[in-house]
Amino acid sequence: MLNTSVLDEQILIEKLKQGDEIAFKQIVETWQSMVYNTAIGILQNAEDAEDVSQEVFVQVYESVQTFKGESKFSTWLYRITVSKALDHLRRKKRKKRFAYVQSLFGADNQTIIERPDFHHPGVTLDNKERTAVLFKAISQLPENQKIAFTLHKLEGLSYQEISDVMKTSVSSVESLMHRAKNNLKKWLIVHYQNND
Amino acid sequence: MKNKKHIEQEVDKTLNSLEGIQKATPGPYMFTRVKARLEKGEKNFWTIAWAFLCRPAVAFTTIIAALFINVAIFFEFRSDSSQTAGEGEQLFANEYNLADNTIYDSTIEPE
Repeated sequence: MLNTSVLDEQILIEKLKQGDEIAFKQIVETWQSMVYNTAIGILQNAEDAEDVSQEVFVQVYESVQTFKGESKFSTWLYRITVSKALDHLRRKKRKKRFAYVQSLFGADNQTIIERPDFHHPGVTLDNKERTAVLFKAISQLPENQKIAFTLHKLEGLSYQEISDVMKTSVSSVESLMHRAKNNLKKWLIVHYQNND
Repeated sequence: MKNKKHIEQEVDKTLNSLEGIQKATPGPYMFTRVKARLEKGEKNFWTIAWAFLCRPAVAFTTIIAALFINVAIFFEFRSDSSQTAGEGEQLFANEYNLADNTIYDSTIEPE
């Protein structure tokens, strides 16, 4: 029995390749939550996630011709989202570093504002403070560990799906998750020791 | 000991605090904003120019052309310099009569 949703998806992508605006609108509406949720998990900022989500769909529209259907459309979408989110993070880091160097030379007296704790909108009220601490720890992880952890915990992807997105092996993903958890534990232990 | 156990419990609770988290949803009218961005991007000359330059074939050809021009100028400069150096040496030698090996080769006419 044919999977009608996969067929519908293929038809939508073919129509999008022909520049069909209605097909594009449907794709945006179908996938916007997935893209936004992934982006906000990595960026930990709603405005940035909104920005990046738009960039993702612009990229989808502009480069859909390069999508050959070798992977699932969702995998392709996750890859673009992760890539855009990481680019955004790196740009922000560079700006922060530049502002810091400028301040050393007295070029700009603006103080570098530390961003407030991130409260994920999908978290229950009683867990808000605890998850804010966890997200702070996640933000300290190396990029690959951050991506693997975020995709698994926030998007619920399996290790196989994560390996498809990251173009790596399942064992590499297992290793990334193991290291991520160890690093998070270390950071949290220090945090709770200092705040006890 | 109690403190250490307490901290471990807190760490475990925090690590598991994402269980049951709801997915975040974007603001309304995402498609409208995406469409506006696309239209804004299309009208920008620099975006179009940059997109053209970023095409692999164009970028590769530009780099090869730049290298070729550099190499050509380098060899051109080298051959010019060697000729110029030779002429300069000759002028200098003539000026100070250095080309003359003996007094008999001197251009000064005996009386």
